Amino acid sequence: MGSLQKYYKQSATYKIFSGAFIEFESFLDTLGKITQDGIEVIKCILKGQIDKKELIDQCNRFGITSLPITLSIVGMTSIIVASQVALEMVKQGGSNFVGLLMTILIVREVGVIMSGFAIISMIGSSLASEIATMRVTEQIDAIKVLKVNPIRYLFVPRVLSGIIMMPPVVIIASAVGVIAGAVTANLTSGLTYRAFFDSAWLGIYMKDLGVCILKAITFGGTIALISCSSGYYAKGGAKGVGEATNKAVVWSFVAIVIWDMFFAIAFFF
Amino acid sequence: MSIEVKNLIKTFGDKRVIDNISFKVDNGETLAVVGFSGSGKSTILKLICGLIQPDSGEIITSKGDIAMVFQYSALFDSLNVADNIAFALRERKELRKKYSEKDIRNIVAEKLELVGLKGIENRFPSELSGGMQKRVSFARAIVTEPNSILYDEPTSGLDPISSTLIEDYIVRLKEETNAASVVVTHQMSTIERTANRVIMLYDGKIVFEGTPDEMLRQDNEYTKQFVTASLEGPMKMMTEN
Ligand SMILES: Nc1ncnc2c1ncn2[C@@H]1O[C@H](COP(=O)(O)OP(=O)(O)OP(=O)(O)O)[C@@H](O)[C@H]1O
Ligand SMILES: [Mg+2]
Repeated sequence: MGSLQKYYKQSATYKIFSGAFIEFESFLDTLGKITQDGIEVIKCILKGQIDKKELIDQCNRFGITSLPITLSIVGMTSIIVASQVALEMVKQGGSNFVGLLMTILIVREVGVIMSGFAIISMIGSSLASEIATMRVTEQIDAIKVLKVNPIRYLFVPRVLSGIIMMPPVVIIASAVGVIAGAVTANLTSGLTYRAFFDSAWLGIYMKDLGVCILKAITFGGTIALISCSSGYYAKGGAKGVGEATNKAVVWSFVAIVIWDMFFAIAFFF
Repeated sequence: MSIEVKNLIKTFGDKRVIDNISFKVDNGETLAVVGFSGSGKSTILKLICGLIQPDSGEIITSKGDIAMVFQYSALFDSLNVADNIAFALRERKELRKKYSEKDIRNIVAEKLELVGLKGIENRFPSELSGGMQKRVSFARAIVTEPNSILYDEPTSGLDPISSTLIEDYIVRLKEETNAASVVVTHQMSTIERTANRVIMLYDGKIVFEGTPDEMLRQDNEYTKQFVTASLEGPMKMMTEN
């Protein structure tokens, strides 16, 4: 029986399943930690434990330093889309709908999700590596020994800055996207700005704007929380910092796509 | 203001780093902990200040703050020296109420002077030498006037004069505050100048306990090997397996 078990443990089936099990376990573990940290962050915010100076610094980092990248990504995406569809639509007699299509696309999806991706690559990765470095150089231990709550000190201003800054970032990026779309449509198909913007307003309702801002808040908070949490549980030296950054980026990407799907089902089904 | 450790056990993976260790440090007493690299000295300090949890055993500390001077300083690299030292005063609610910004500036200046680094408030940790970082770390740890102080190699990497400065300060602080201190060190000068008692760790256990004089007398084969820094003796350099 003992030797049978030994052979079994060497089999590919066992290795694959135990490997998958370990993966699944670490997935649940990560999810649990993120949730737990999120709850702690909310508790601190409700208790008003917010460092204003630190919050302003983090807002600046989240919103201002990321803006060039966010604007270029959203702007360029909308140039790409407009250059593909504008001429085609004008040819098929749909000139009255180019502006409408572009704004719906940008306000509902492109603006917020592309900003999310830009923020992950700019801010998420830097939050994770910053906090992971603090972990591996024992700075987080030092915070704890000095009896300061690291969640309050590190997470709260960062997560809150994501929640506060993501909506304006998305709004500015979307505006740039719509303008870039109009210019592209004009250049590729000769569609007048007047025709573009006349139809642009037809497609968006208050609900769209509301959902857009709600999404921005959710994405901003989620990216910041996941990035902080990935960094916070980093292990080992430089390699641990790399792994934490990687995890932050992957988890944030997947998380905001899941959120986006959730919003699409909940509000537009 | 005392620290008591009873039957402490801590395992990492399948390696028992701390194997049933007990000791007590009274108020106003300084215990030196010596031992090979990897013998679990830093682990003991982290257990005492609650950064890691033991598998079993008890750690009893009296009320009040426990301060720790970390082996690799662990200064906050995004804050300048003054903000590092003032960290607890600003971030802890009960202390923030007690001190004004002006008080804090004075305390920071006073602590910096104490560790011989007057006037470097605005520098960042990356602009300091290793020894200077260590001294700033020391200043940061004692700013809350702790009842128990844990030092992880406070003098290693310092020149002899800076070492003496820190050693004198460890003694002075103990006398002034009657704190219980634990000093992890490899340096004989630090043991002799600061410690009332010494314990030596090997393979997770205490292999010697006594006064610094008794240690220097080398009548135990472990202390003999340690003091003479000999490769021959009961202690073998530990390998990772
Ligand atoms: N978090 C951890 N996870 C796994 N193993 C650890 C961890 N912390 C310490 N160890 C192991 O425990 C042992 C003791 O480590 P510790 O840092 O306490 O040694 P030390 O006596 O302080 O050594 P040094 O004099 O080099 O600082 C080492 O073998 C180390 O590899
Ligand atoms: Mg150590």
